[in-house]
Amino acid sequence: MAEYLLYAVLNIGFITAISPLLLGAIKKVKALSQGRVGPPLLQGYYNLAKLLKKEIIYSQNTSFIMRLAPYLNIGFLLAAAAMVPVVFLPSAEGAPGNVILFLYLLVSAKFFMALAGLDAGSTFGGMGSSREMSLSAIIEPVTITSAAALAFVLKTTDIPEMFAAVLGASLAQYPTLILIGMSLFIVLIVETARIPVDNPETHLELTMIHEAMLLEQTGPKLALMELSYGVKQTVLMAILINIIFPWGLAAEATLPAIAVSMLSFGLKALALAAVIGVFESLMAKIRLFRLPSFFMLALFFSFVTIVFELLA
Amino acid sequence: MNELIIGDDFIKILLVLVLGSAALIITQRSLVSLFSIYAAQSAILAAVALALFTREGTASLLFMAVLTVASKVIIIPFFLRRLLAVMPIKRDLEFHYLTPIGSIILSTGLFFVVYQAFSALSPALEVSRLFILGAVIGVSLALMGMMVIMSRRKVITKIIGYLSMENGVLLFSMFIAEMPFIIEVLIIIDLLMIIVLSAVLAFGIDSSVEAFHKRLNQLGLDFED
Repeated sequence: MAEYLLYAVLNIGFITAISPLLLGAIKKVKALSQGRVGPPLLQGYYNLAKLLKKEIIYSQNTSFIMRLAPYLNIGFLLAAAAMVPVVFLPSAEGAPGNVILFLYLLVSAKFFMALAGLDAGSTFGGMGSSREMSLSAIIEPVTITSAAALAFVLKTTDIPEMFAAVLGASLAQYPTLILIGMSLFIVLIVETARIPVDNPETHLELTMIHEAMLLEQTGPKLALMELSYGVKQTVLMAILINIIFPWGLAAEATLPAIAVSMLSFGLKALALAAVIGVFESLMAKIRLFRLPSFFMLALFFSFVTIVFELLA
Repeated sequence: MNELIIGDDFIKILLVLVLGSAALIITQRSLVSLFSIYAAQSAILAAVALALFTREGTASLLFMAVLTVASKVIIIPFFLRRLLAVMPIKRDLEFHYLTPIGSIILSTGLFFVVYQAFSALSPALEVSRLFILGAVIGVSLALMGMMVIMSRRKVITKIIGYLSMENGVLLFSMFIAEMPFIIEVLIIIDLLMIIVLSAVLAFGIDSSVEAFHKRLNQLGLDFED
């Protein structure tokens, strides 16, 4: 129990702490690849500090949903963060990590964010929520199929057990993980509302999905929403990283092992952030109605993984 | 024994990559990317042939790998890129019957049907599971290539469909049919001819004789009048 408590505190703390850095890294890589200098790497932290000092203003039309949503959102995502080991692998008993529960937590966070977007009754918020929910309806089966393929290949629905399975094996033993990796990358791009699905840097009516839902949030509440976005991204990145490149993840809770684990995760996450930044710079935003073909690629890879496993 | 297992895993990884490239060929719209993906797919096939050669020791597999690299990784993509340089279009945005989403869904179905068919056949074929896997992916790749030919409107993309289909046949022959090497050489020559002919057709179909000659000169295919 004590070990699990240590794990939960360290894991959630580390994921929360590194999230703004990864957001900053993606922005920096994007800026550099486009020939701009870009904001400093630590800009994410400065933004959060600035927002936390500001006052909160609500529209008169809002209800308790608006006030509650940021807490619920970050709460669900931190609970999800506890299920994805990045500091060390907790022992099997007593550590929750079911992938289905994990997906439900992510969806619950999204649900409350969409509800808050609708709550103020502004046109932008409603539009953002409507777009988010339409996309979710299409991407959800793809996410579930990817998780199912992952569970099928690694013979478990428990996320720490999945990590333990790949940690003890090489990629050669699970060749289909390459295909799952591609699916997970697409899911990561879609779930974190990045190009080609959404453009996280603009506030234009044509492109806004995620930002539109946050327009009515102010001050520390907005900081919480921004932080929860970062946490969600880090958690999804952590799954992709620890499934495909598990090296460095500690199997037991000793101080040097945890330090190595944190360092290696930090480096791998920065590398993935660079890949996402370059990927975003290379792509143009896809038209909303053409997005399903992007998702279908992930569905195809997941499905093919299952058939491949049946044959191999 | 251990070495053999590593070899199998390596082939499986390559087969996974072949499937990934097939999916990208179906969905990709930019012609430059299509040619690069085709070249990459052919390179992966050459690697499969090499891996099988180290395992089986059949010399024709080695020749096949060399021939594939020379023709499909270097010559054909080079020719296609030169073609693209003088062509007015850079992207293929027109589709018949099926959009990329429809094609991807259909190819998922195709893959499943081929898998079902081969699972039923596998006791009769008496080969190892790896070979059945290679055969299933080979036939699926051929069918996906056929789908590209059916669903794209532009001749240049249809060529990629043909080429990808031939890659599927090659994969199938490597794992199950053991096609004689001479047939493979003849197929490659056919492919080159198809490419030259379809390039000429793709160019000449909408131009007068004089304009056609001028265009061929741009391609470097000079004619004596």
